[in-house]
Amino acid sequence: MGNIRIIGPRSSGKTTYLAALAYQPEISQQKQKKLRVQAINDDTKKLAEKAENIILEGASLEPSITQVNTIDDLAVYSFNIEFQKRFKKENLTLAVRDYPGEIFEELEHGSSNPLHQEFIEECLTRDVTGCLILLTEWKPGTDKSYSRVIKRFTELMDIHNRANDLRLAVVMGKCERGELWPGRLEPEMDLFAVHLPKTRTILRNKIPAKNLHFYAISTFGVLGHNNPRPNRIEEWGTDGRNSILREPDRWRPYGLISPLYWLSTGKEMAHDR
Amino acid sequence: MGVIYIGDRSTGKTHLAMELANPNNEYVRVVSPDYEYLKSLLMSDDEQKTKATDARASVYEYYLDIQVKLPTGNKQVIVDWIDTPGEVWRKNWQTDNQDEWKRLLSTIRQSEGILLILPPHRGLNFRSNIDGEQFMSQQQWCTRFDRWVEFFRQDCPQARHIVLCLNKADLFCHLPEEAAKIAYHPNGSPMNWQQRHLYVLQRYFRPIQPQLAQINQSTSGLSVRCCITSIYNRSLLELPWIYLGSFLAK
Repeated sequence: MGNIRIIGPRSSGKTTYLAALAYQPEISQQKQKKLRVQAINDDTKKLAEKAENIILEGASLEPSITQVNTIDDLAVYSFNIEFQKRFKKENLTLAVRDYPGEIFEELEHGSSNPLHQEFIEECLTRDVTGCLILLTEWKPGTDKSYSRVIKRFTELMDIHNRANDLRLAVVMGKCERGELWPGRLEPEMDLFAVHLPKTRTILRNKIPAKNLHFYAISTFGVLGHNNPRPNRIEEWGTDGRNSILREPDRWRPYGLISPLYWLSTGKEMAHDR
Repeated sequence: MGVIYIGDRSTGKTHLAMELANPNNEYVRVVSPDYEYLKSLLMSDDEQKTKATDARASVYEYYLDIQVKLPTGNKQVIVDWIDTPGEVWRKNWQTDNQDEWKRLLSTIRQSEGILLILPPHRGLNFRSNIDGEQFMSQQQWCTRFDRWVEFFRQDCPQARHIVLCLNKADLFCHLPEEAAKIAYHPNGSPMNWQQRHLYVLQRYFRPIQPQLAQINQSTSGLSVRCCITSIYNRSLLELPWIYLGSFLAK
């Protein structure tokens, strides 16, 4: 079983990403034959219901921090993903936990909150196969801030003896944005090297190449193959922090499974579009 | 889960919650307690209006077992319906009853949802048979709302869900018309939550838009939602509960 952790800044869409994975919005018939995602435990089924009751109804999920008082309050979402390959079926079971954004942000300046330190300890235990780092911004100053966080995280990996055996999938989220969408196919070169060069360099210097991969995902996707407008609008009153789904009938996420598949197996997924 | 009703005096807090238990429901059903029981508890003897909630106790707790019909089916919402008398929002009451006030604040801070019930004001277009003079001017209403802004910012920055209900909507709008536009249907509504909120915001909450932005900036939960409510229209009465139920249902 792939045991995976997700970290990223507040409002980067970590829980929404997992909700989309659990709910599996409309996917093409052809894809359905090749790929089937099943929510296994109650937490994941409830998350899928939240996607239907909240995201499809034009509202956004609550920030995770408001629901967490102890590490046991953090849900573990578990999925079974079935891939139909040419002559055989492949099954992948995932257990995924996403941490509140505060944990990521506090890595920059250090945290005295024992609960947050506990999260990090848990993230770097030996039974965790890989960590998905979900980033979303590139405005001036962000690269500096992200790179400090990543530097601190790699130091912590070292301290916990995980520097050589923890896979990191570094993901640019919300790639339906016009500035990012065309760069989704080669995310390391066209997104990270361009918008977050310092962060990328630190990662390349600190993490063995076999344990590092860059991805682009879009939880809400775009309106269509020939209509690359984001299927997402800003939620009122959140200054762009939160988003809502624009057209539920056209909800087609992009690239959600690839990073989890690689984190879990160390192999590239053939097709996840 | 705790959902608390707050608001100034005579805004209709108790009546609004009591009517939710009315068995003529759409998508929100109060399984217990029974409507008749609540009526006997809360209505005055002539059944014309609710008894004033007594300020000698700052918090009245009732346990409500609610069923909300969401797109994924019927979901149970267990509610600690906490009713507060309007008097407790007066500064002199808070000074004279400091222990009670602290206890109330602690209850509010632990609540998952806060429903703030607001009265109409003279800036609204009242129906012809309504004497608008009995209500505050728009300016008074806005000034009074500033106190709520301070309250949310200072006393409950961790609030997860704040829903503002402009109550007694029967006095200033055509209920069936508005309900037809913004009502909820689990199998497909004319508007989603964001559209409903914007519709109500533009029409009825425009004077306090800057204050709403202040609340959003200083609380860590989701952005404030605006509703219009009336005990005379079931669809509008249920909307805040369906919204809260989407997040809080077990």
